[in-house]
Amino acid sequence: MNRTVLVVGVAITLALFAILFVGLGRDPAAIRSPLVGKPAPPFALKAVGTGQTIDLASLRGKPAIINFWATWCVPCYQEHPVLVENARMLPGVQFVGVVFNDTEDKINAFLRERGSSYPTLLDEQGKTAIAYGVGGVPETYFLNRDGVIVAKFAGPMSTEILQSNLAKAMQ
Amino acid sequence: MILLLLTVALNAPPQGTPLSGPALEQRTYEVASLLRCPVCQGMSVADSPSTVALDMKQQVRELLARGYTQEQILAYFEQSYGQFVLLKPRNRLIWILPILILVAGAIVVVTTAKKLSQPSTTDDRQPTTDAYISRVRELVDK
Repeated sequence: MNRTVLVVGVAITLALFAILFVGLGRDPAAIRSPLVGKPAPPFALKAVGTGQTIDLASLRGKPAIINFWATWCVPCYQEHPVLVENARMLPGVQFVGVVFNDTEDKINAFLRERGSSYPTLLDEQGKTAIAYGVGGVPETYFLNRDGVIVAKFAGPMSTEILQSNLAKAMQ
Repeated sequence: MILLLLTVALNAPPQGTPLSGPALEQRTYEVASLLRCPVCQGMSVADSPSTVALDMKQQVRELLARGYTQEQILAYFEQSYGQFVLLKPRNRLIWILPILILVAGAIVVVTTAKKLSQPSTTDDRQPTTDAYISRVRELVDK
């Protein structure tokens, strides 16, 4: 009886430790979205500045990076230069910014001051953000050339994170 | 724009009756109460003042006004945010499993306690030639 209790106890303890270690090794910013592996939700939004409508279909054929952000979001200031620089260096990748809960005036001022190298779209009622399951900004989605979401990242983007996720979109 | 999103997210046409007026507001609150605000700590979309929750609540209102049912609307949000967004998870096992584990644990405890409280009917002691051990056993058995 004691031996059985010992074996069962050790087995349960090891299982709990295994779950703990798996959890510790996981990046908390790498959110598991139910949309990963599925076609990206369609959208058709107006670009800030030009007023041109850009839809998801126009992004097909190249890997795409869709970055949800807002001018009131502090980490968005931090990641903006990273995205602008990478968009300049990677002409084979479609970069799109989607701003929600914000005004066009503030976005224009932000982009004038900090530069821009890709279209920024205004999601006026947050419907596109909801369709993508955005909780807080910044959140970034990586799409392959077929328009399938291959990765989602929550938090300020760095070049390393961008390139490692982009590699999945390139496959 | 809305149509474009809904044709993908809500594969079936609206299965309910379009609502309006006070009935729409009442149902909006009820359905929004079943959705978790993704940026809050344990608050429902109905109760949260955050902008994301307000956007979600507005979307619930629009879907109800178009005739979508509660089930269709919950499925739409679940498709984007996962089961996390549902304040009442669909998987009943989540509610039943803790009770099952508690009952199983209670059975193990009771069974073990019963076994420990019963006096041993067999003498499983090792034979010994040690005089001291033999004397101790005699005293214990008295």
